[in-house]
Amino acid sequence: MRDAATGGSPADRLSVAAGAVALVLAVWASLWIAESRNSATGETRPPDVTLPGDLDGFRPDLFYLPDDSLLGFVAIPEGPFIMGSDPGVDRLAFDLEWWGEGRVQGTVELPRFHMARFETTVAQYGAFVREANHPLPNPGSLSAPADHPVTSVAWTDAVAYARWLDGALRENPATPPALRLLLDEGWRVALPSEAEWEKAARGDDARIYPWGDQPPGNRANYRASSTSRVGSFSCPDCAHGLSDMAGNVWEWTRSPYQPYPFDESDDLETAGTDALWVMRGGSFADNEQFVRAANRGGADPGARRAFIGFRVALVR
Amino acid sequence: MQPTDSTGHPSRFLGWLPTLFAAVLFALSYTPRVQSGEVLTGSFWAAAAFLVGWNALAAIVGRNRGDLVESTLRPHHYIQALCQLAVFAYWGWYWRPVYDMGVLIAGQLAFAYGFSMLLAWWRGGTYRLGFGPFPIIFSINLFLWFRDDWFYLQFLMLAVGFLGKELIRWNRDGRRMHVFNPSAFALGLFSLILIATDSTGLTWGQEIASTLTLAPRIYLFLFLVGLVVMYFFSITLIAASAAAVLFGLSAIYSAWAGVPYFVDSEIPAAVFLGLHLLVTDPSTSPRTPLGKTFFGTLYGLGVFGLYAILGAAGAPTFYDKLLCVPLLNLSVRGIDSLVRGLDTKGVVIPGIGGEAALVRRAAWWSPLRLNLAHMGAWILFFGIMASTGRTDGRHAGDSLPFWEVACEEGRRNACDRLLQLEATYCSDASAWACNELGAHYAEGAIVNGDPAVSRALFGRACELRFQEACLNLIDDTRIVRGEPRPLDLRLLLREGGRNLMGIPESELLTKACDHTWAFACQRAASAG
Repeated sequence: MRDAATGGSPADRLSVAAGAVALVLAVWASLWIAESRNSATGETRPPDVTLPGDLDGFRPDLFYLPDDSLLGFVAIPEGPFIMGSDPGVDRLAFDLEWWGEGRVQGTVELPRFHMARFETTVAQYGAFVREANHPLPNPGSLSAPADHPVTSVAWTDAVAYARWLDGALRENPATPPALRLLLDEGWRVALPSEAEWEKAARGDDARIYPWGDQPPGNRANYRASSTSRVGSFSCPDCAHGLSDMAGNVWEWTRSPYQPYPFDESDDLETAGTDALWVMRGGSFADNEQFVRAANRGGADPGARRAFIGFRVALVR
Repeated sequence: MQPTDSTGHPSRFLGWLPTLFAAVLFALSYTPRVQSGEVLTGSFWAAAAFLVGWNALAAIVGRNRGDLVESTLRPHHYIQALCQLAVFAYWGWYWRPVYDMGVLIAGQLAFAYGFSMLLAWWRGGTYRLGFGPFPIIFSINLFLWFRDDWFYLQFLMLAVGFLGKELIRWNRDGRRMHVFNPSAFALGLFSLILIATDSTGLTWGQEIASTLTLAPRIYLFLFLVGLVVMYFFSITLIAASAAAVLFGLSAIYSAWAGVPYFVDSEIPAAVFLGLHLLVTDPSTSPRTPLGKTFFGTLYGLGVFGLYAILGAAGAPTFYDKLLCVPLLNLSVRGIDSLVRGLDTKGVVIPGIGGEAALVRRAAWWSPLRLNLAHMGAWILFFGIMASTGRTDGRHAGDSLPFWEVACEEGRRNACDRLLQLEATYCSDASAWACNELGAHYAEGAIVNGDPAVSRALFGRACELRFQEACLNLIDDTRIVRGEPRPLDLRLLLREGGRNLMGIPESELLTKACDHTWAFACQRAASAG
């Protein structure tokens, strides 16, 4: 190199300089291209999420959760409830709802827990994506109006949301005192178990639908073409005053799919099997058979579909 | 300077030869392979347009000196190219993407001819028409291709190689010649950029480095091809000393640490290829036996050291064989001076030099005989290495359970290697590997604990339907592990990229058992 730099003719030195400039330009161009690639694929930038400044009935300062003392969580008292379906009473029941052990239904004792009144909304999930920089593999998840249920989210996304919300509520000084007290007592935000979901949906009296045994009529968003605003179907008779426990979107639970009888303590026995997680409630695209409170759906934990969403619970 | 064309007659028509090569490029852009991607097609068109534009500009300013073409057929071009072609043919037989690259390599050759021609004329020189671009293009493509969506960078890389050859020159032994091996210069520079920008994913570099071993007995094949190059160009001492250093250091490390230095071989196949066909350009390496020995030794040391450095920096280690060649090219004159100094003092290293002393003391050792003697020693050495299982054949580091045990036993770097392997398999969509890696980050025993990373890994494994990972994701107070599923085994056992998707499960279990997966041995036994 020393000869090239000092021993050659002026033309040679010029050539070396030109070569060096070309190489520097090549390096610069490559760096620029690599940077544009990262920007284009969104690998390094957080997802671009637009959230409403105000949303009627919800608190923008608290991640668009419902505006009440428990931010939409409704207490479900402790006690037993009847799980599964009796085909003698419910002619639409599927085989997989049978309890087994020679019985069509079983009684499950649950401690007190709190269930979200509404399905998790687009605004709530958008706040999570923005705050936690959570990946958004399917931008369609947030394309519906802010007060519609979020859809196209995987089971893993739902679990991540619940974990994030738990931490966010603990850290946020605006969290209402009643809810903060619960959190301080050891309650945590999580997906409901399959049993918690069913008890919250059908109450203690083994009703077929959240409102009773009558077909849905205009009480639920089913046999439709799209989601509806959460809580838009008036249902004064619904158990515990929860909305959309029938239809609108399927809701992920924290229970792995396995045959009844239900026993949360045996979840670990599903290790070694192909992952399949329970979702409940049916969706806008289903008929009355699928939106029954005891109906069980199962899906791959990575499935992101336009008819699958979730709601959260407070458990301990 | 003789103004002639290849037939010895001046011809102005030749001034438009680069445009003819551009036309070839343009025609190739309509082949199905190039048409398979918009960016790829656009890259060919852009390269062709660049040649046409430059040719036109050269014509306008009177620099398209087609009358300055000489034909030169140099053995070190076409023999080297034929050897490289043989490697492509053999490797491609077992890994088809190589054959798919055929049209793209043809396009690169057309671009290389046009570009180097214009570059020579632009600088007022004579273009020597021959097979010169072939070994450069083949050599580059034996080590690095950009993916279709980034293929224009491949043309840029070629241009950088030729610019380096034409512009960066020095006086050596009274002749003005290029400093850098053109392909190694381009590869080295782009490797550096790719590492610095964490953009290795833009290339097929990792696949290229790992798929050579899909061809059975690839070491033997490269050895035989290497003998041809050694015979014609007397580079035996370079390749042999590099190989000896690498085999030696690898064995010493293994004996000391109890684990292999290179994860799955004594010398990675791509390094073995490099020390035969990348580092051995006669124009940019020393010419004396002692100098060649120094040069090869330095290459071996360089690769060995860079492998550790790149690994420690978290960069892909397959760049080890590429990064040190330009530095070695720069050291050639220093090595020449050193050897001359030793030679003047009458220092003789038995078997290799100094040259003048050898010539004085054993006149019948002609360079040809000396090279044949070196080749004989190399054949003997390789034979010993091959017969002791240090080249082709199974290697302890191929098996992930080996690294699990080595990590548990606290062997040097074994846990890092285990993590690297699991990360690689996880990125290949092995759910089991993601769960294992997530467990390590959750436990914090062999790597600093990081709940966010472990959850991300559990999430990935869970979405790949590995139930244990889902259970870990939902309750992080305990860790659930499981055995690899058949799909995992098809990824974990492919040894460099072989497609195991179609093989029966029984065969898969037998293979897993060979790789010391205990559960697979039990299942294979109970099934059989």
